Amino acid sequence: MNQREKEEYLREFALLKQQGKPFFPYSVAKDGAMAVIVMLSIILMALVLGAELGPKADPTTTTYSPRPEWYYFFLFELLKIIKPANLVPLATIGVPTICMILLFLLPFYDRNPERRPERRPVATAAGIFTIIAMGYLTYLGASAGSPTQIDMETPPQIVAQGGPMLEQFETGKQVVAQSGCEACHKFGENGNDGPGPPLTDIASRLPKQAIARTLINPTAPMPSFKALQANEPEKFDAMVTFLSQLK
Amino acid sequence: MPKLKLPAPPLPDRLNPRPKRPGSTKTKPLAEAGISAIDWVDERTSLSQGARWMMFRKIPKGTNWFYTLGSATLFAFLSQTVTGVFLAMYYRPDAAGGAYESVRYITNEVFLGEFVRGMHKWGSSVMVILIFLHMARTFFFGAYKYPRELNWVIGVALLVLTMAMSFTGYLLPFDQRSYWATIVGVNINGTGPFVGPYLSDFLRAGPEFGATTLARFYAIHMLLIPGILAALIGAHLYLVAKLGTTAPPWIKADDPVQKEEKA
Amino acid sequence: MPDRHQTKSKYTTDRRIPGAFEGETVTRRRFMTASAHTYGGVATMMFVLPSLAFALGPIFEEQDQPWQDVGAADEFDEKSYIPKTITIASGVGEAGKSTVYMRRFDPKIDKEPKDEYNDFIAVSTRCMHLGCPVRYVPAAERFICPCHGGVYNFRGEVDGGPPVRPLDRFYTRVRGGRVEVGPRFSVNREIKRFSPRDPGQALDGIGQYLYPARPSIRKLPNT
Repeated sequence: MNQREKEEYLREFALLKQQGKPFFPYSVAKDGAMAVIVMLSIILMALVLGAELGPKADPTTTTYSPRPEWYYFFLFELLKIIKPANLVPLATIGVPTICMILLFLLPFYDRNPERRPERRPVATAAGIFTIIAMGYLTYLGASAGSPTQIDMETPPQIVAQGGPMLEQFETGKQVVAQSGCEACHKFGENGNDGPGPPLTDIASRLPKQAIARTLINPTAPMPSFKALQANEPEKFDAMVTFLSQLK
Repeated sequence: MPKLKLPAPPLPDRLNPRPKRPGSTKTKPLAEAGISAIDWVDERTSLSQGARWMMFRKIPKGTNWFYTLGSATLFAFLSQTVTGVFLAMYYRPDAAGGAYESVRYITNEVFLGEFVRGMHKWGSSVMVILIFLHMARTFFFGAYKYPRELNWVIGVALLVLTMAMSFTGYLLPFDQRSYWATIVGVNINGTGPFVGPYLSDFLRAGPEFGATTLARFYAIHMLLIPGILAALIGAHLYLVAKLGTTAPPWIKADDPVQKEEKA
Repeated sequence: MPDRHQTKSKYTTDRRIPGAFEGETVTRRRFMTASAHTYGGVATMMFVLPSLAFALGPIFEEQDQPWQDVGAADEFDEKSYIPKTITIASGVGEAGKSTVYMRRFDPKIDKEPKDEYNDFIAVSTRCMHLGCPVRYVPAAERFICPCHGGVYNFRGEVDGGPPVRPLDRFYTRVRGGRVEVGPRFSVNREIKRFSPRDPGQALDGIGQYLYPARPSIRKLPNT
């Protein structure tokens, strides 16, 4: 912005100001109405949602799945997405620091005197992109389930069969969830996408015997479930049954 | 603006206020006392000049509801301050069990306890939302441009401090989520090269989460950051009043020169 | 018209120093300016420095890490881990405890040099990505982190996900048939011992220089 543009803006602004109304009571009335709305929504949330207090902090736990407050979900998801170990400092410190510096210095690199959003396409697009990206990451972070739980619904034909089949399916689901398969495989909405293939519909690609064979003799880095088959064959069978029903 | 005249209610004459006698300057004694008290303070402080400058400055034409987001954020901050002060009256920053116990006591036993804690908890979410909306408005309206660059920088600092507030406030109830989110947050700070290990030691007051960690977060949450935040809010408001709020970018002033030519 | 008798160069008025007055000399002004800055600076530092040192003190204070009895030596085997609770920070009761997974040293899979401190392997449950609580899953023989998808193998080495180094370990020793767990240490990819680092701080390549060891917590000397 050069001297002429600065003066032009100041002149225009002085005119606009002259033609405006005093802060009190015109703006204050609007601000007050907004403040009432804000306080009403806070009070409503406090009344409806209350102040939940979780179980007491337990540093010895090995079963708790920590999740942040919703406004840190985007950061949480970012940490999940950036997998390579040597890029971890980039996700934790690098990206947030760069974003903050860009935000701080915005008026110093965006020196375009134009103010209307539709005439600053780059800035407007960047702003909208940031909002969408943060919204999407927040959504992903919010819907990320615990890796020791599978939220897939039991298919109706299994429920119809009932009896031992249904029982084995449910047991298998639990064994799979607690065996950490989701660290590498995706099951519906749960689990990580990779390095292993998604198992949401594994049965349509592999017959039951092949699934059992893979569990005992997997390709590295997948661990073998041979020990489970030897020690607790009923759990292993339940696991195979569950996986062979995923179509 | 024409003076609004309400129709006189049909009351018996006795109840209607008597018309003033000419020459009488008598006002109500209470109002008089109020006015003279204000005059007394003003004579010694000259505050009314500042108040007049602040309250009766002109706001450019065309400002709309988007311009209330800043003051709404300020209001959420005030609400957080007041509810926070009262929560502090019951809270004990004691990791050995006192902290969780005191929050449980606030939630379950104190009159309106869950309500005030809920206001503080959800107020933080509302404040974060409002501060982001306020920033989005400033960004899309180009309101960070000359001459308001410095105010944008202060605003970003306020955003960072608000996020730091919500991070440090997180630990205080000392439930599972608090504890693990804090562990993760401190370790995130620890991944900064060279200074990281010392920074996380500073935040925890030692190599592990220990006896003084909670007190440290409590002091940062309720004294250090709010102090800086209040000072910066003051600077932010002073600059807003001095430079004026922007008009929406598509509003154009009626040019007085053109108007004269037309007339 | 200026007074000719007045000596001008001696006074600050015509040197355009703000607030200059008749009779003030440049040297006096300089002296007073320097005094104002010095006294102000010294007085401020007198309350800032002690408070800062007070707040930063714990960074340089070495923590005590006593040996703790976790059970009889014949309780543990090579095949599976047994969780044990130990205290890693004193004075905070339950909040200072942590879980370690214990097993016996197995020469078939443990390739690190054998010494007096690793008859038993004690693995920390802090994920080395950002410190979430990992869980040992016997069926998969893996450690699984519930936060960002970190997976470790039976020895605690990274199998997948974002963790930057293998799981931390604790020194162990046997005293009169009882296993004792001592200070924590960090390991790099070759299970070489390092002074304990926080999660997220790599130890391979330039990592050990980017994240220096802290004075507050050290590995045992000569190990």
